[in-house]
Amino acid sequence: MHASISAIEYFLPEKTVSTADLSAEFPEWSVEKIDTKTGIRDRHIVGPEECSSDLAFAAAQKLFESGACRPEQIDFILLCTQSPDYFLPTTACLLQDRLGISTSAGALDFNLGCSGFVYGLGLAEGLISSGQTSNVLLLTAETYSKFLNPQDRSVRTIFGDAAAATLVKSVDAPRPLIGPFVYGTDGRGGPNLIVPTGGMRKPRTAESGVASVDEGGNVRSPDNLYMNGAEIFNFTLTAVPESLQALLDKSGFRLEDIDLFVFHQANKYMLDHLRKRLKIPEEKFQLAMSHCGNTVSSTIPIALKHASVDGKLKAGSLVMLVGFGVGYSWGATLLRWS
Amino acid sequence: MTREEFLSELDELVELLPGTLKGPERLEDLDQWTSMAIVGFIALADTHNGTKLGPTQIAKCSTVDDLLNLAKVDPAS
Repeated sequence: MHASISAIEYFLPEKTVSTADLSAEFPEWSVEKIDTKTGIRDRHIVGPEECSSDLAFAAAQKLFESGACRPEQIDFILLCTQSPDYFLPTTACLLQDRLGISTSAGALDFNLGCSGFVYGLGLAEGLISSGQTSNVLLLTAETYSKFLNPQDRSVRTIFGDAAAATLVKSVDAPRPLIGPFVYGTDGRGGPNLIVPTGGMRKPRTAESGVASVDEGGNVRSPDNLYMNGAEIFNFTLTAVPESLQALLDKSGFRLEDIDLFVFHQANKYMLDHLRKRLKIPEEKFQLAMSHCGNTVSSTIPIALKHASVDGKLKAGSLVMLVGFGVGYSWGATLLRWS
Repeated sequence: MTREEFLSELDELVELLPGTLKGPERLEDLDQWTSMAIVGFIALADTHNGTKLGPTQIAKCSTVDDLLNLAKVDPAS
């Protein structure tokens, strides 16, 4: 048996922050400038009482309501998040109960950011092809907005909250429909995208909540998310082309064999540069972030959903997914759309 | 990409009219030499000849000429 993506749904919280809103808050950055750099028109932001599990729950409910499957058919829940409801218990366990999924199902959280969807597919494919499970509910959910300082325009222009629910199911197929996979990790990049406090290494204190202004005029405290955009950009220039080539080498396909490239939707500027450097035709390169921003581990399933709805994906289409970001962590895989 | 073309791209990055930058300008005097411009410069160097530059290397530059040297732009081009 092999794994196949059977359905994808996603959920965005109701409140939005538009580029015009941000430009009004930061007058030195025009709407046009933010648009050009990010390609993002709106970011959806959770309310104070809304958590990752709420977003994941809503996305999963949409999946079940679509008729893709029933909750009782799910035999494993994988949840990717870096903003869980609690240190413990595991958010996926809470969702098992809330979604009415059988107590015989397995459930686990895994902590990754923008590479998370590819890793989740790898885990789901392994669970299914080894015969351990048949219907994996792969959830990605983040509320990064809770980490952002309101005065840090460098990250507020980019990140939005969201969750996606992907059904990965066992199918009788002559060959794998997902894979092969290539992975990569370089922990030296950890300090370049980090929330320094709040874990066991550096618990939050009154002092850690005190904000200061950096050389770029952005305000944040150690309790907030910090991103060194230039370092992250530099990392992607090497990691993405290398993982793409490694995946082509491993699979035996050529670049021109790929019908659609779906990269982590970091920001338009970065993706445009990568696309041109990799000589990928514009019509084969999916962009789907203007309505929701960089939603971390949910960007790839959201982009896949849009590609499907827009008719860019047909049965048998060969799709390359590349996720990259916080960690540093990256991964790439191929899938046959079915 | 010639030196002149590279300078023209830099002009755009720091929101100056084409032909403004010549080389000796000090980066600290350029209002728009921001983190966004640094990302743009990293992209420009990568496009120019595949040079991968980190922000730490760029931070050591004090003039536009330093940036051109770092990006391996041929002065005679």
